[in-house]
Amino acid sequence: MSAGIPILRIRGHILVSVQRELGDDVVEQFQRDVLSAIEQARGPTGGLLIDISGLEIVDTYVARVLADTAAMARLMGRQTVVCGMRPEVAATLVQMGYYLETVTTALDVDDGLDRLGLPR
Amino acid sequence: MFAQQDLLGFTEEQLRQRLSFFRIGPPDLARLVAMRPLIERHTPAIVQAFYEHLHSQPETAEFLRDPMMLERLKVKQAAYFLELFGGRVDLTYIANRLRVGTTHERLGVPPRWYIGAFDRYLELVRGFLISEGTTSEDLQLDLAAVEKLMHFDAALAIDAYIAGHLATHERQQAAIRELSSPVIRVHDRVLLLPLVGTIDSYRAQQVMESSLMGVGAEQARVLILDIAGVAVVDTQVADHLLKTTAAVRLLGAQTILTGISPQVARTIVELGVDLSALHTRNKLSDGLELALGMVGKQIGARVP
Repeated sequence: MSAGIPILRIRGHILVSVQRELGDDVVEQFQRDVLSAIEQARGPTGGLLIDISGLEIVDTYVARVLADTAAMARLMGRQTVVCGMRPEVAATLVQMGYYLETVTTALDVDDGLDRLGLPR
Repeated sequence: MFAQQDLLGFTEEQLRQRLSFFRIGPPDLARLVAMRPLIERHTPAIVQAFYEHLHSQPETAEFLRDPMMLERLKVKQAAYFLELFGGRVDLTYIANRLRVGTTHERLGVPPRWYIGAFDRYLELVRGFLISEGTTSEDLQLDLAAVEKLMHFDAALAIDAYIAGHLATHERQQAAIRELSSPVIRVHDRVLLLPLVGTIDSYRAQQVMESSLMGVGAEQARVLILDIAGVAVVDTQVADHLLKTTAAVRLLGAQTILTGISPQVARTIVELGVDLSALHTRNKLSDGLELALGMVGKQIGARVP
């Protein structure tokens, strides 16, 4: 089973573009998919880029899973960048006290690849 | 006929309640209708006496200097006065009264003139009722009916005044809101938000919204928050600034806090607020240099 979220490999980096809302049923499967993609990846060890520009709602649970996934990827030797968070999502998370300090952020995929050190 | 906005939200139900509150019933309206022929005969004299009174007062006399306007006003005043004796107090009546109040408010006529004028009217009506031989029992009830409806009118006028002032207040609030959180693009992908005045929780919300919208729209990498013009920085303000910074970071941009005076620096440390996670600078110019560095630019002297 898969969460149905495409996981792409770009020159050693892993790009996940979340274009559907992450419900409670999908979000854990999403985490498993991402971690197994890291495990299966070959070649140079790049970063993990999670694009959440498609998410209109990020509740505290999803925020937690994103932060946890980043921490897990880090343990597996991958730096994680979350990019494309919408302004209203950011405002809501901060109001709820979720600052996600441990997660590196970027404006969009382009900016995120910069953060991962992909040469232009 | 009247337009719905002339009613300022007044409904049939409120009309019923208000008539009941002012104790205006069919007997009062019947009395007013019965008085109408007498009043109609004396309307020109009443309006004349009314304006003589206004001319005798320096404040109102100044307002009535234009003879053309005065003639128009007299015609309107007579119609307004006679409407009291129409025997119908419905939503059309309400709309007319509110419109008169709104017009006066717009012209800058203070409510005290309005209420003082009613008193003069009552006195004139009493005079004519007595001179026409109204019995003392009827006189009392007739005057009570007129008085009640005039008070009813005064309440509507005050409603219109308040609504007018509220509308002005709201427009000014909107203007202040627009002025209070301007996001300025100082360089490609570098934004500046100068904060001036007092930061309450409402303003803080505005600042966060403008910051996030600005960063999103401009795809900015750096936001400079300049707090040199902020009057008081306390724990709450510091908390708001931290939240805005955290939200901006979630979008993938960084925040630089500039304009931190020695006094603000002392306050922040003494309050035990930890801003060490933020980039802070004393001068906006230093913040700008730091911001440019973050987007891979720098200010340099021109080579001759």
